[in-house]
Amino acid sequence: MLQPLRETCRRLLQDGTVQVVIGYGQAVRAVEPYPVFITAPDDVGQLVWNEQCRTNLVKYLLRKEIRALGKPAIVVKGCDERALVVLQQELQIDRSQIVVIGVACDGMDEPRCEVCDAHQPRFADHIIGHATNEMQPAERRYAHLGEFLERPLPDRMAYWKAELERCVKCYACRQACPLCYCERCIVEKNRPACLDTSATLKGNFAWHIVRAFHLAGRCVGCDQCSRVCPEGIDLRLLNLSMAREAEASFGHRSGTDPQAELVLGSFSQQDQEQFIR
Amino acid sequence: MRPMTNIYQPDLMEVLDVQQQTADVKSVRVRFRDEARGDDFHFRVGQFGMFSLFGYGESTFNICSSSNWKDFVEFCFRRTGRVTEALWSLEKNDTIGFRGPYGNSYPMDKWVGKNLIFLGGGIAMPPLRCAIWYALENRDQFGDITIVYGARRVQDLVFRQELDRWAEYDRVRVVCCVDPGGETPDWTGEVGFVPAVTERAQIPAENAVALVIGPPVMIKFTLPVLAKMGLADRDIYTSLENRMKCGVGKCGRCNCGPVYVCKEGPVFTLEQLKSLPNDY
Amino acid sequence: MSQIISKPAIRRLVELWLRQGKRVIAPVQVRPNLVSYQPVRGPDQVLLEGFVRPLNSIKQVVFPRHEQLFQYRVRGKQIDLLPAPLPDIERIVLAARPCDAAALPILDHVFNWEFRDAAYNRRRELTTVVTLACTEYDAHCFCTSVGSRPDDTRGSDALLLDLGDGTLEVRHTTDKGQSLFAGQTQASTRTAPISPGPERRADLRRVSQSLEQAFERSEWAAWTNRCLGCGACAFGCPTCHCFDMVDEGGPTCGARVRNWDACQFGQFTLHASGHNPRGVQSQRQRQRIYHKFHVYPKKFGELLCTGCGNCTRNCPVSLGVLPVLEAMQAEGA
Repeated sequence: MLQPLRETCRRLLQDGTVQVVIGYGQAVRAVEPYPVFITAPDDVGQLVWNEQCRTNLVKYLLRKEIRALGKPAIVVKGCDERALVVLQQELQIDRSQIVVIGVACDGMDEPRCEVCDAHQPRFADHIIGHATNEMQPAERRYAHLGEFLERPLPDRMAYWKAELERCVKCYACRQACPLCYCERCIVEKNRPACLDTSATLKGNFAWHIVRAFHLAGRCVGCDQCSRVCPEGIDLRLLNLSMAREAEASFGHRSGTDPQAELVLGSFSQQDQEQFIR
Repeated sequence: MRPMTNIYQPDLMEVLDVQQQTADVKSVRVRFRDEARGDDFHFRVGQFGMFSLFGYGESTFNICSSSNWKDFVEFCFRRTGRVTEALWSLEKNDTIGFRGPYGNSYPMDKWVGKNLIFLGGGIAMPPLRCAIWYALENRDQFGDITIVYGARRVQDLVFRQELDRWAEYDRVRVVCCVDPGGETPDWTGEVGFVPAVTERAQIPAENAVALVIGPPVMIKFTLPVLAKMGLADRDIYTSLENRMKCGVGKCGRCNCGPVYVCKEGPVFTLEQLKSLPNDY
Repeated sequence: MSQIISKPAIRRLVELWLRQGKRVIAPVQVRPNLVSYQPVRGPDQVLLEGFVRPLNSIKQVVFPRHEQLFQYRVRGKQIDLLPAPLPDIERIVLAARPCDAAALPILDHVFNWEFRDAAYNRRRELTTVVTLACTEYDAHCFCTSVGSRPDDTRGSDALLLDLGDGTLEVRHTTDKGQSLFAGQTQASTRTAPISPGPERRADLRRVSQSLEQAFERSEWAAWTNRCLGCGACAFGCPTCHCFDMVDEGGPTCGARVRNWDACQFGQFTLHASGHNPRGVQSQRQRQRIYHKFHVYPKKFGELLCTGCGNCTRNCPVSLGVLPVLEAMQAEGA
């Protein structure tokens, strides 16, 4: 798959369709692949593709330093691609100004890969490869989360207290998340200061709960938050719980249907309002 | 320096007086609630302090009173953000916090015998004002004093009454200007931007030093005028602003290249500034 | 003649220290693939082998990620300030890596630069650091490129070296180390081999000179483009010490606190006027490199880096100081 990927990218750069390719590179085998930004056709040899390509590159479409490089082509896996769909629905990107290169993926050995139903990208302009792993059925989707949520509430609270105690407020979760794109995050505002920015238990709970709320109905389950956390906090459980709720209550699975309406960005006469009597 | 003290804990200050200078600028006089501390306290003009409102935070302001004035410390601020918005409601007898004095100062001792040229724009008057008063109070030590100060409009001039008083001193020339369109019908000062007005003023540069403070665009266009006048880079001074938090060289925020503005600044010569990277 | 101690004996010491009311911080297996320094509740949590180095550092012991500076109370026009009490609990860091311990004397410079940080100094006094020499390293370690080594004793009060059979050699470094292990060790003729450490990739003590010329280079963007602007590198770093000061609470009572901060955050140098001298990520990355390899050595004679590699390990995209410096040097800087 590497050759067709490189060739596609070389052509796109050579004929001026794009000015930059956002893909994966890897200098040494011992270090995981990392994002590269190829601007010269001859540099496509830097692109790699293997079972360690875990970063969701979609975030870079929103970084002003990368936007400055020109019209992009971006390498996405099926899971990453869902973020593209949401960003387009939220009017943060102009899909027509991006060339999407979808790469079939048989798994990156991460928890979401076990329950993945997006091995084959669906919305790309170019598709490289064909996934051999089976799509997982819908019931499996929230399997890990379901197991966790079966634990009694006091257990879960104790779990989060122990986990969030370690949070140092590095905001890697926010910076890696393709759907966190506020110019000025709520923790950066001080009139008023809504949350304690301190890395205390109170401040940490506040931050992660608020962020989960802000991702309600939007989180696509790319799991970057869990992957990048330097303290190993399994933040995907929090954010996925809101995704599960959105699916249960509104039949909405973010990033899977470009034509679907945003669950918190739209109103329908048919919306259930049983809590209003 | 107080031994074994919490260097981050401010002194409590009592507000003596608040003056509204412009629509969004106020000046405040404060004195130490602890008299003994007040008696001990001294600073040099050009230094700054961290002024706080408990519950809101701290802000960095130049100490704009003369170091000869022993009864109070004065600062001046524009209503811009969270802390200054809260400072806006200060009244007599209120309490604020103060940490300082920090930073380096204008080398008034090096300037003895020199002609002094003060150039400033808008909210940059306060850091000039302390040096001007100091010079006037030690009049014999200095040569001719020229002050060129401008603002966008007449109502944006800060410490306006003092400008008139300064002009009454011996061998002091005050040139006040407003931007074209900012004058009122009864305005008798100059009309034009500070750089142009400075050039027109034909200030003799021999044996002179200049202190230039103002927004980056004003500085950018004033420096060539000063060069044309014949002032050397080492005789042109300015006071840099940078975002600060601790004020004591630890929090790592205010450095401009290898220089910590809170410890080795904020006063720099143009010669020093030119050796610094474009990091401010 | 050397002094040795068994690993079970070390764990009995941990039990003793905990009973004495001391705080013990050691490498702990937090998750299957995550070892980090944590306060331990019992001796079994302490890891004495089987890891390269923890993903965090020990700076939190002397420079906590959150600290109250003082409390304030407002009653009408009356304001009272209550300074935070100076720390008084003894701390023992056990099995710290030499690249973590070496950071402490480096940090001493800035926290005592004219104004002395009393709480930091008190914690330094109260802390005894027992280091564990490295026997292995990974692709991110580069201590040997900053003038350090797997058995460096800077900042260490006692150095433990694994003899490979359940015992450790103890090399005392300071009085504090002596008082901790007095009477607890046995004499021996065995001495532990010293690992040579990672191959030296460059002498980064000399990079200050090339940095002097490199500030305006346009390649900073290319070298650092993938940086996402989080604080993972800074917070995992043994020597990064930038902090924020903020009032927490309300208008009637609360505290002024100090929290870790990072020069990589977009708002770090944002002025109230809206001007930001480092508004672009490459400028912020450049600042990090300069602070560590140019500014700090110029001021205090030492690099603000011990070559531990945590920046790259913790970085979501494997950036960190070594990749940036190597990119710079590859392009003839």
